[in-house]
Amino acid sequence: MIEAHKLAKRYGRVEALQDVSFKIRKGTITAMLGENGAGKTTTLKIALGFLRPDAGSVAIAPGRVGYVPDRPAFPAGLDGWTILGLCRNRERAGGEGNGRSFAAAVLGASRSLLFDPGLLRRAPGAYSAGNAKKFAFLQNLVLAPDLLVADEPYAALDPPAVKCVRDIFCGLRDAGKTVLISSHMLAEMERIADGFVVLRRGRTIVHAGLREWRLLRASRTGPDLESVFLLLSGP
Amino acid sequence: MPDPALLALTWRVSRRGLLASPFVVAAGLAFPAFVVWTGFRESYETAAKLFFFALPHLFLIGSQDAVRSEVESGALESVLFIGGRFRGYLGLKSLFGAGLIAAYAALLFGLLAAWGAAAGGLEPAFVARFGLALLAGLYYVAVAGVLSHVLRGAAGVLALLLAQAAAVIVLILTTTARAGLLDYAAAGRFPAIGAALRFGALVAVLPNIVVAGRLPAFAAEILAIFVLAVLLRGRLVRALEIRK
Repeated sequence: MIEAHKLAKRYGRVEALQDVSFKIRKGTITAMLGENGAGKTTTLKIALGFLRPDAGSVAIAPGRVGYVPDRPAFPAGLDGWTILGLCRNRERAGGEGNGRSFAAAVLGASRSLLFDPGLLRRAPGAYSAGNAKKFAFLQNLVLAPDLLVADEPYAALDPPAVKCVRDIFCGLRDAGKTVLISSHMLAEMERIADGFVVLRRGRTIVHAGLREWRLLRASRTGPDLESVFLLLSGP
Repeated sequence: MPDPALLALTWRVSRRGLLASPFVVAAGLAFPAFVVWTGFRESYETAAKLFFFALPHLFLIGSQDAVRSEVESGALESVLFIGGRFRGYLGLKSLFGAGLIAAYAALLFGLLAAWGAAAGGLEPAFVARFGLALLAGLYYVAVAGVLSHVLRGAAGVLALLLAQAAAVIVLILTTTARAGLLDYAAAGRFPAIGAALRFGALVAVLPNIVVAGRLPAFAAEILAIFVLAVLLRGRLVRALEIRK
């Protein structure tokens, strides 16, 4: 579904990525882990076309791509309904449901995220951080992506919303969609992810599926993902 | 062919951006009111001169394109703009903004022409002068668009206004009893290349001067800089990355 090959990116004197390569299969949840500044967000932004790599390439299988940024921001002056309508239009081939079914789908998705649909009459710029995050997920649910990329998806969410988002990720995987998550919440990632990509100082240091990861965990005698991660990213 | 969803998105954001700015709305309403007031106080001819000279500034005030502010706001880092769609959006946004102001300018010109037809002051040359005013207006949009890659908010527009104020002050301070730049321009002839170059620099800062229609070489200069600014803007947009 996604294949990154020897990605490199430099911001002035800072070498953000030096050698990032990984391959993610369709119908899986992959967690991208790494310390602050390891290059996770840069890698995601290259995959999504917000940045151009200085070297290397990313290939994504054809299909709808969704994205939930770490700190979502929205076009000024447009209310929630308008933005959701524009998201639906982004990929709609035409004739995919009418306004009433769209509204019903939005209300259903809002319920699944514990998001108050009454907020949709306001501009998302005025939402709280948690509601802005939920709205970013709502945009993606309307889009029905084949690949969902999420950067720190649990940031600003309360525990019930975290559970909702986890259910959304698992639901997408069960429906054969692919999910790529960058997160520092290791326990949560260990709970849902099928594979892990660990970056350190702009390089891929581990790229493992669940089975390989368990082997790695056993060989490193780490009781959980956190201890293995700390061993890997140690000095 | 740009994708229709991107067109719809850009149209909504551009329209909303213009109508939600109190400064732009106030300028858009104050401009025709001032022209009408001038017409009643002075004459239709004076009102028409004011209309054509000041019309490009409507474009300048409306062209708070602010690419840098938009990039830094994070709004472009959204599912709506993935896959490099933000570049298409930014390219279309300035086009739609200019189109909206041009449509409003055409409406005002229609009203001015109707007033002129009723008052017996309408001249065929007005069409050419309106075309030159549009050119000067589009020049402002293109130059402010380039500046908005570097300057935040409406700072690009402010920089142009300050440059104009400085140019006018210099012009006033250097005015002597002898014939000067404005006299040469009024006559349509410059005695030396130095004077023509100095006037060319003034026109680059204040392109409204070309709406008189007597200076085709300087209108060509504005057209050339406009084309260069559009090309540069396209290059800047193509090279843009969202690094928030």
